[in-house]
Amino acid sequence: MFILTILTFSLSFFFPGEHLANISGQINATPEQLELVALEYGKHESVLYQYWYYLNHLFQGNLGVSMNSQLPVADEIMSHLPATIELTLVALFIAMIAGIPIGFIAAIRHRKKTDNLILSFSMIGYSIPVFWLALLAILVFSIQLGWLPSAGQISLVYEIEQVTGILFIDILISDTPYKWQAFNNATTHIILPACVIALAPATIFVRLARTAMLSVLDSHYIKAAMAKGLNTRQIVFRHAIRNAMVNVIRDVGLQFANLVTLAMVTEVIFNWPGIGNWLIQSIYQRDYTAIQGGLLALSSFIFIVHILTDFIYASLNPLARGSKHAS
Amino acid sequence: MRRDNIYTEEEFPSPLAELWQNFKQSPIVMVGFSCFAFLILFSIFSPIISPYSPIENNLDHILLPPAWHDDGNVSFLLGTDNLGRDMLSRIIHGTSLTFGLSFVVVILSMIIGVIIGSLSALTRGIKSSFLNHFLDVILSIPSLLLAIVIVAILGPGLNNTLWAIVMVLIPQFVHITRNAVVQEFKKDYVLASKLDGASSIRILHYSIFPNITEKIISQATLAQSAAILDIATLGFLGLGAPIPMPEWGAMLANGIDLFYIAPWTVYLPGLAILFAIIATNLVGEGMKHALKMQREN
Repeated sequence: MFILTILTFSLSFFFPGEHLANISGQINATPEQLELVALEYGKHESVLYQYWYYLNHLFQGNLGVSMNSQLPVADEIMSHLPATIELTLVALFIAMIAGIPIGFIAAIRHRKKTDNLILSFSMIGYSIPVFWLALLAILVFSIQLGWLPSAGQISLVYEIEQVTGILFIDILISDTPYKWQAFNNATTHIILPACVIALAPATIFVRLARTAMLSVLDSHYIKAAMAKGLNTRQIVFRHAIRNAMVNVIRDVGLQFANLVTLAMVTEVIFNWPGIGNWLIQSIYQRDYTAIQGGLLALSSFIFIVHILTDFIYASLNPLARGSKHAS
Repeated sequence: MRRDNIYTEEEFPSPLAELWQNFKQSPIVMVGFSCFAFLILFSIFSPIISPYSPIENNLDHILLPPAWHDDGNVSFLLGTDNLGRDMLSRIIHGTSLTFGLSFVVVILSMIIGVIIGSLSALTRGIKSSFLNHFLDVILSIPSLLLAIVIVAILGPGLNNTLWAIVMVLIPQFVHITRNAVVQEFKKDYVLASKLDGASSIRILHYSIFPNITEKIISQATLAQSAAILDIATLGFLGLGAPIPMPEWGAMLANGIDLFYIAPWTVYLPGLAILFAIIATNLVGEGMKHALKMQREN
């Protein structure tokens, strides 16, 4: 986390243009204003002091203002990040719901036709480029079949006040008379992008679940259960699934970085108002303060998820609690 | 007395040869490997194979569907795009851009990563711990995001994209080399040559590298499929190859506007990317499987 801030701080030196403008986003400032900003960021002192000032600004939630819109970057991030969180969480949920049981089935039918079929499908699913899949999905489901909308987060007809930023919660706490219609509309909007994002992680979950299940089925306590005369269904449901799940959950956090990247690309195609879309727009416009802020926000988000999954893993698995390092 | 067996000496294959032995057992993997070799040939000889130049405009044949379609023309086998450029030639040239360049990128980052990784495995204390934490941070940032940021620093363009992807892939190689070298250093045969007075560089060269090559190669195939995807994605987002270049991702982005009237401009490059990635992944999978078998024996 600490190194992350050093990284973003040094980015302001790497970007072309004036360092001070890059870090604060003031591009049209008069010399007097510029002098004020320079003082604020400790421009006249050594790099270490500048870094210290930068950290101070960070802790106050001040990331400078965007070079294009001249709005504070922190506010922009706060308005875009929840949409991404919503999308990735739904996608993660879909990926887990679909991927893990399929992986378990593959493991139970190890080295049979079902297993091979599932493995080949997961290989294909893993290899499909996400932007291509998104385009095909739009073509098939929104244009040819007309089932699902192709872009945006919700139809423009519904006016939902942004409170938390996560649309579903916003709809539920808002007091519009069309609450359920709005909720349904938002659901149909999220299905397509979330499924597109979920495909690749789902195939990875299939593999993880399969290997975890295989190693559990190989263990002695399963043999003991078999020797006691339990049938396969009882063994799988009572003994194997729980122990295999624990190992899968540990890797969910690692997949999250992957998921966020996929979400960034998908957001651009589906015109989802999330942080990936915003970040790529700001790269087109060379909005360096926005890039720095966005990078910091996304990376810390991923970092926090990593730590959270470590905690969940530790709470589920008593064996992991003893270890000293939780990284 | 006649000897039954003339060659009593038992031959031990080197780890790499053993990997190949195991690797060629599975037929599916060999199919993937032949596709991989085929793509490499394609990317080297693309100017000779392709029927037209990738940027040549045939203005009488704009948006021609592929030849199997009723309106298709057999001289443009996969149809043409909105400027009358032959799709087949563009896809063949795209092989050398997307696939060939990803190959170069992976080799480059492999060399740099292995050097840094093996040096860092030899150092101890604060330097190595700093490097470790630094790598952890870099690895926690998604590779595409990092590539996008580096492109933002360097500015868009194909060259910059390639440098960005090289830089993104390096930490993975450093990580895997470092772990492999550290693991190998604990083994007894290294201790033996250490007792013989060999310097660390010599041990690295003669004892360790031959034994970790297969791990690095297996990582390289994984890195390659990521590199193809990254190059294509950056091209698609308009941050990579500039428009007239027949890079698969950029071609796809170019075709989006024509998606409804000429869907082949979108699905053909997509299929090409899919094919390349599946071939690479199959090779990677086979490699992993072979490694596992090697360990179990």
